[in-house]
Amino acid sequence: MRSVLAALCLVAAGSACADEAFITNQSGDDLTVLDLATGKAVATIPIGGKPAGIAVSADGARAYVTSPEGKSLAILDAAAGKVLSRIPLEGGPLGVAVHPSGAPVYVADWYGERIFAIDPAKGAVTAEIAVGKSPSGLALTPDGKTLLSADRESDEISIVDVATNERVATVAVGKHPFGVTIDAKGERAYTANVESNDVSVIDIAARKVIATVKVGERPYVVGLAAGRAFVSDQYAAQISVFDVATLATVGEIAVGDYPEGVQASRDGKRVYVVNWSSNTVSEIDATTLKVVREMEVGDGPRSFGLFIRPTP
Amino acid sequence: MILCGPARGPNAIDRRTHAATADEVEDKRRMKIQLLSAAAALIALTGVADAHGPTRQKTQQQVEINATPDKVWKVVGNFQDASWIPIVEKTEGSGGNDKDATRKLTLKGGATVEEVLDTYDASGFTYHYRITNVDVKVLPVTNYSSKITVKADGDKSTVTWWGAFYRGYPNNDPPAELSDEAAIKAVNDLYKAGLGNLKDKVEKGS
Repeated sequence: MRSVLAALCLVAAGSACADEAFITNQSGDDLTVLDLATGKAVATIPIGGKPAGIAVSADGARAYVTSPEGKSLAILDAAAGKVLSRIPLEGGPLGVAVHPSGAPVYVADWYGERIFAIDPAKGAVTAEIAVGKSPSGLALTPDGKTLLSADRESDEISIVDVATNERVATVAVGKHPFGVTIDAKGERAYTANVESNDVSVIDIAARKVIATVKVGERPYVVGLAAGRAFVSDQYAAQISVFDVATLATVGEIAVGDYPEGVQASRDGKRVYVVNWSSNTVSEIDATTLKVVREMEVGDGPRSFGLFIRPTP
Repeated sequence: MILCGPARGPNAIDRRTHAATADEVEDKRRMKIQLLSAAAALIALTGVADAHGPTRQKTQQQVEINATPDKVWKVVGNFQDASWIPIVEKTEGSGGNDKDATRKLTLKGGATVEEVLDTYDASGFTYHYRITNVDVKVLPVTNYSSKITVKADGDKSTVTWWGAFYRGYPNNDPPAELSDEAAIKAVNDLYKAGLGNLKDKVEKGS
């Protein structure tokens, strides 16, 4: 079946099979859908409530968008580009991640010390998970068993057992971790530590930091591609790149101003960087480290979370 | 005045030309205590001094100046001299124009603002800096960072003052004076006054 689909994709020559990027424009109160084949916006979806966080389901069917000022989670039909429903939440919903199976959806409360577990089919909160202060980025291991939360004001990550909704461990990291990213094998996690200007590399099973890598000024998010980590340094308007095996610095790439969201394409050949101040998305060749394209999006884009939508 | 300050603000003190009386000394002391207690209250309120809201704001103002970028840069490009900003009375600092240089601005009326230089590009006529310490009663923002850029525009220059910041209130449901709108207005007012004064200074040599 998969090979048949792949063949169809080849016949369709790209555009029909290209992935999309779902860009939350916080200042603009909407979401831009970028067709990554053409680099053009194909839809602008009104969201409201200053949307920031994004999580696209693994099958590409749904997108979940947090609005911290509107205190809600919007559920989108990602293919149709339509908001299906909005779930009101307390506090300041910001970070969001969706379970590999499609449910539940986890939302971090920036003002609380908790994560909401949400059943998107019922449109209801099914559990609250106690974590540290100002939980920000969320990420799940590919096996769906473990949830990580970057607890910004606690300077640590929480490790949550998805089966019991209980925090089972904390790991001290750098100062003010914001984004947290888990590798494809589910072995390591990377936090971007905004105030200590470094990345903590965490062995998830061992529950400990195995390395700290210095990066540029005010790192927010780590993306992984081609055996490298790509880190958005907000105040430096650049991406710091290091080798995940040797942890050696590979270089810096100038992008737009105040880059935040970072994610690789599914094939790992491209890295997409969302530039909050410049209102653009930079596309980087993960091998040559050159910016190959700049795409216009809405005002104040963040896309904090996993924002690439695989198209069938 | 552009910056919101305590009731006995800069104007009241500016107008006086005679030596300070005992009353004035007492006024200044009282004002300092008010500022300090406001800062203490904020820290008590948030628990963490550098916590901030969920939505960063950005704004910018521009001015056209009838002078070359070189001339404008001589006035605006020295991180250790912020006297082109009308409310600034004194600039003290260290590190010159190098990355991580610091400066402390003393404002008319006595409040202070501490800042650090992130990037400085003399050939590109631009620098980026951030506030490391300010009372929200003085400027109702947190996590403020800023960029100043001078660009050639024919035989004139365009100066852009750009800022990114969170509102003064770090939690949900802010009071009006610490809201997103209040933060944007205060920063815009500061930028307009600063750039207006910069234009006068460069064009008139005042």
